[in-house]
Amino acid sequence: MTVEEQIRDIIARITRVDKSIITRQSTFKEIKADSLDVVQALVAVEETFGIEIPDEEAQKFQNFGDFVSYVENRVAQKEKV
Amino acid sequence: MSFEGKLALVTGSGRGIGRAIALKLASQGADIIVNFFRHRESAEQTAKDIQALGVKAEVIRANVGDPAKVDEIFDMIGNKFGHLDILISNAASGVGRPVADIDVKAWEWTMDINARALLLCAQRAAKLMEGRGGKIVSISSLGSRFVLPNYTVVGVSKAALEALTRYLAIELAPLNICVNAVAASAVETEALKFYFKEGLVKDSRYVTPVGRMVIPEDVANVVAFLCSEEAFMIRGQTIIVDGGTSVGLFALAGK
Repeated sequence: MTVEEQIRDIIARITRVDKSIITRQSTFKEIKADSLDVVQALVAVEETFGIEIPDEEAQKFQNFGDFVSYVENRVAQKEKV
Repeated sequence: MSFEGKLALVTGSGRGIGRAIALKLASQGADIIVNFFRHRESAEQTAKDIQALGVKAEVIRANVGDPAKVDEIFDMIGNKFGHLDILISNAASGVGRPVADIDVKAWEWTMDINARALLLCAQRAAKLMEGRGGKIVSISSLGSRFVLPNYTVVGVSKAALEALTRYLAIELAPLNICVNAVAASAVETEALKFYFKEGLVKDSRYVTPVGRMVIPEDVANVVAFLCSEEAFMIRGQTIIVDGGTSVGLFALAGK
């Protein structure tokens, strides 16, 4: 499973939306994710990938694609180390 | 008041009230364990500011709403220090919604972080205070007894926190552990800015008889007092720090 697929599964589980509607352009509002859903998704993603996503970074995510790109970069950096 | 040689854990101490409490206790000589969940930069800054006061600071990330993470905090303290003198249960979260929109997830999230965390932390802390005694102070809010718009689940969690504070005070008294709470009205913090944004509270400067808002240091001063030997006979109480707001409601109505 790719990073994107794993994050999509996590968000769909938390917000209980059909994962087929979550595209890289989807905003959190479109996914029906409220601020608690977002925090819970961040925590679940952090635990899945063994990374830490500070709120300062998370606040910059405009859509699902931003979230995925950020995590992909962090995972790639981690693998380099 | 001196806390020299004492070790204090302040949950949620990267910012706001928790940070002010950590700095206050550190300024009186206590070594501090800074706990945070979402804002590492702020926590690291708090630790630096504590160290600049000439005492030790340790940073640990944990969501106190998660029992496994609470265990991680206390396992670290046990392994590294072997004891604890002061526990400040300050970390809080919440979901601002009208009653009709509170779902189980929002309820559990808020209750777990704001109320259950005190139970789990106090249980572990009491073991680390065994034979030496200790102080536990929890941070509540006026929402535990007064109704604020969209504050239901937080207010209820704070009421539970205050009730738990009373039970802990009695059960832990034989272990020479003093347990109390401090409840503040709206305090000028980052969290309050969030509530302003969400439209939960209006500028409460105008409803504080003292003429200014409560600031984190006002709360920290009372917490430090409750952690001192001077407060030895105060047990299970919730001390309100609100500039008189809660006793002055009717007096202010005509202003």
